[in-house]
Amino acid sequence: MKRRDFLKKVIKAFFLTLTAFIFSASIYIYPSNIRKRRFHYIYLMDEDDLPKKGVRKIEFHYEREHRIVNSRVFVVAGNDKFTAFSPVCTHLGCLVNWDNNKKEFLCPCHGGKYNASGEVIAGPPPKPLTRLPLEIKDGKVYVGIKV
Amino acid sequence: MGKIFDWIDSHFGVKEPHKRFLQRTIPPNVNYSYCLGGIAFTYFLMLAFTGLLLSIYYVPSEKEAFKSIIAITNEVTLGWFIRSLHKWSANLFIVFIIFHAIRVFIHKAYKPPRELNWMAGVLGFVVAMASGFTGYLLPWDQKAYWATEVGTSMFGTVPLIGDYLIYAVRGGLDINGTTLIRFYSLHVLYLPISMVIILWAHFHMVKRQGIAKRL
Repeated sequence: MKRRDFLKKVIKAFFLTLTAFIFSASIYIYPSNIRKRRFHYIYLMDEDDLPKKGVRKIEFHYEREHRIVNSRVFVVAGNDKFTAFSPVCTHLGCLVNWDNNKKEFLCPCHGGKYNASGEVIAGPPPKPLTRLPLEIKDGKVYVGIKV
Repeated sequence: MGKIFDWIDSHFGVKEPHKRFLQRTIPPNVNYSYCLGGIAFTYFLMLAFTGLLLSIYYVPSEKEAFKSIIAITNEVTLGWFIRSLHKWSANLFIVFIIFHAIRVFIHKAYKPPRELNWMAGVLGFVVAMASGFTGYLLPWDQKAYWATEVGTSMFGTVPLIGDYLIYAVRGGLDINGTTLIRFYSLHVLYLPISMVIILWAHFHMVKRQGIAKRL
């Protein structure tokens, strides 16, 4: 083998090793504990405390991976029907607030607005607010979230 | 100064090879707008220096980060001053990179043979912005948290590899201590090292190609 050909092979091997290294590095930086979020029903409040009308913000907490996570949900009272909305804006994940004067959900980050049915009325959000299932059992209200 | 420097230089030999660069004649019709890049570089040096000082007191952990920032601001002697210098230098660094880029653009200095240097400059700007973004999380307050929530969520909008990117950047499903360590590591190691390499290449090309003639 000529020296030139040999060196060419060495350079090729070097770049192959480099590619393998970059590939391993990109696997290395990916966290190993990523799992699918599981669906859980979490106690929210007693049935008597459900709002008669309008929108109420309910704060609750749960435990995940030995850490207390504070969370909140908006319960909207309709005609004998309750809807729960996740407060997470569908744009980039900020938490929306309910403006009781304007009767709309407002996201503080980029001005996304939703009406009381969770539909987008202004701003950048691509989707309506996520509806969360509510379950009433033995006078207690549970909300279904992915934990 | 002269004698000590001459003694060092007689052994180290740094003066002679840099004479061409340090004692070169400045081309005619150069005005103060040609200083913008140099000003940006001065801010980079300020950032490196104050950053080194801040790293002595800052603790990049979920429980300690915010406390250590409060301690730097209120308890450490001149801590508020060093922190402010770092913060304002960071802002002005970005501002002067933009001014510099505008000057280069107006003078059409991005044209061949300097197109690679324009690319190096753009890369440097990206690294500067990334440094700003990662540094923003380090105070670990509400503003930092939500800015990072928004910023990292944007990674999720990349087609196909969005989920990989978002979890790789956050180090988990949500923003927590792991994210803080990652951002700290990027902010004090990866990005500054990249910046130094990019700036070396940038200055090397300026030295080789000279300053573009004005229109």
